[in-house]
Amino acid sequence: MIHDTALSQYIPPTLFHRVTGTWTWTAGQVADTIAAHVAAADQTCTVNIPICIPSNSVANQGAYLTSVEIDYEILTADCDAFSAVFNKVTRGADTAVAVVAAQTFTYDAGHDTAAERLDVDQHKMTLTLSTPVWVDNDVYFLIELTIDQALTTVVELLGAVANYTLRM
Amino acid sequence: MGFTNNTHMSQYIPPTAMHYVTGTWTDAAGAVTDTICKHKAAAAQTAVVNVPIVLPSNSVAQMGAYLETIEFDYELLLAAATSVTAVLNKVTRGADGAVAVVSVPAITQDLAAAVAAATENQHKLTVTLTTPEWIDNDVYFLLEMSLVCGGTVTVDVLGAVANFTLRV
Repeated sequence: MIHDTALSQYIPPTLFHRVTGTWTWTAGQVADTIAAHVAAADQTCTVNIPICIPSNSVANQGAYLTSVEIDYEILTADCDAFSAVFNKVTRGADTAVAVVAAQTFTYDAGHDTAAERLDVDQHKMTLTLSTPVWVDNDVYFLIELTIDQALTTVVELLGAVANYTLRM
Repeated sequence: MGFTNNTHMSQYIPPTAMHYVTGTWTDAAGAVTDTICKHKAAAAQTAVVNVPIVLPSNSVAQMGAYLETIEFDYELLLAAATSVTAVLNKVTRGADGAVAVVSVPAITQDLAAAVAAATENQHKLTVTLTTPEWIDNDVYFLLEMSLVCGGTVTVDVLGAVANFTLRV
């Protein structure tokens, strides 16, 4: 049996799901990096990050999701607000809807106040599940970011990393 | 080093990883709050969605991932579709200077294309390989979904899950 507590999975910005705003693929602020870039506008965008890690139909097997790190940059002006929700989606059977349950989590010490999350800067924000979860095969997780831009705020999303234990 | 053979592995594939041809497709909130989808606007046309089966592969025979089934989650809204049909394509990559070669492994889909798969409803359609396959490192699989739509129906693609054995 393999039981590795230090696995991580990079999730590129090209997999992010973006609603509201004019989003484009751009070069990042650092040469040769990539970003999902939203143009300046006074608006609230919703971005969902799909957590693409293995799952398993056997209890206590597969991936044990513990935390997710999100790398982003806020440019030109602070956001009005920037927050995250950690959603667990249980898929529906055929003809049934999915069911969503928000998970309890904590922000890292550098992002546990609203002011720390929204300022002009490079950010690496870590969301840690209060109760880590073995990922069942009928379940997936979405990190939902709500990004409230000021009129001149530009945001660039660089990617995310999911941290988990793999047991198989 | 150890050896493991886990027969219950699964991999979530988000809608943002899929390839959409024909139709007006946008990132949108799903019908259930806090879910995500790729939404197709109403139009009488046949849309094709390719789901890349993003699993590990292996250059050694009978190692890596043994692909068995794929589940495709989608919703047909406002009206029934004419049909929803799955084809599984196995793509053998070309050497430098050579084209790829596509073959079509035999499958079954649990929902009849023009009947149960086409109703106005939430759907979880399962495709089963008649002969499961160990994925060679020079091969990948695309699940090609053809959605024949009338003028009223809209489509929400929620995601997919590939089920496999992992031997490493």
